[in-house]
Amino acid sequence: MIEKRLLAIGLSGLALAGCAKDPQPVEQFRLSEQVLQQAKAVGADDQVEELKLAEDKFARAKENMDDEDYKRARVLAEQAELDARLAEAKVLTRKSQEQVDELERRIERLRKQVGEQP
Amino acid sequence: MKVRHGFAAAMLLGALGGCASQQSDEQVLDAARERFQTVKENTDVLRSAPRDVLRAGESLARAERLATYWGNGSDVEHYAYLSRRYSDIAWEHSQAALNQDRLAKLQLERERLQLALREAKLLSVQQQGQWLEEQMVSLATETERGLVLTLGDVLFDTGHSELKPAANRTVLKVVQFLQLNPKRIVRIEGYTDSSGDREENLKLSRARAQSVADVLIDLGVDPKRITVDGYGEAYSLAENASSRGRAQNRRVEVVFSDEKGKLDAPR
Repeated sequence: MIEKRLLAIGLSGLALAGCAKDPQPVEQFRLSEQVLQQAKAVGADDQVEELKLAEDKFARAKENMDDEDYKRARVLAEQAELDARLAEAKVLTRKSQEQVDELERRIERLRKQVGEQP
Repeated sequence: MKVRHGFAAAMLLGALGGCASQQSDEQVLDAARERFQTVKENTDVLRSAPRDVLRAGESLARAERLATYWGNGSDVEHYAYLSRRYSDIAWEHSQAALNQDRLAKLQLERERLQLALREAKLLSVQQQGQWLEEQMVSLATETERGLVLTLGDVLFDTGHSELKPAANRTVLKVVQFLQLNPKRIVRIEGYTDSSGDREENLKLSRARAQSVADVLIDLGVDPKRITVDGYGEAYSLAENASSRGRAQNRRVEVVFSDEKGKLDAPR
């Protein structure tokens, strides 16, 4: 009985070695939170797949933090950070593409008025 | 080795459940390597997002290092994921930067076209000016003294010098014509019939010519471009015996210079 328990403790200790002994990823949480806010500030919403991923992961990271599973909390928060960064980058690219399209439309209209072939 | 540790490995994987997923390390590494390869070979990406490319490389190296130790599957996957994300972010940044470059070029193109359009419009106004000139010519008559526009007697009340509102259209055309032909100048000449006092007629003819000049000046024509003369009953167009002939003789003539500003000498 005791041996069995020791074995279980030993195994779980070994197994969790990477997870449980990690420090609280406080700084990473702050960073992920900030990056998420920033992505939303530039206009990323749930329509952007990566932002949804980021929010889901960050929510799970918070749960893991509450459960004191700091390794998983950190991993998820790190991924959430980069998901959010990607979401932000995609939104910015899309916006610049829209500007390019709009300007091209305007130029097209101008060309027609000037009577110039493109 | 693997067989012997099979049980322990299974236990470990079970315990790590949340951290690890059972995808092959090599598969995730390959995906990350491929993505990294694409961005690091792209000069646009390197130029616009060097730090993200660097981090993609660092994360990939870390994933590869962890893959050499047994039991780090979840970490391998994690860092491979981060590497791919950094590569994707770098790629997006480069696309945005390319779009910014393109925007700058398009902006110049747009300005060039706007200028061209303005010039075209100006040209069309000039063409309109030409059209107006044709109208002017039909309204006025080309004489040996140049283009002469006659404002008839009906545009003035008997004995008065003020131009009647009926003359507005004609006057506006003159103003527009002069605006479009900035070098042209005019001489405004007044004439009367022979009835009445010669001196009075001279004064009236001059006053009528001056009132036309005043209207033109009011409408923005530079006074320096206008000279005013009164000839009284001289230079009659028709005999003064009939009322019709007299009416024809009561007139103001606007004599235009050529487009270079050369005006026929006064009478």
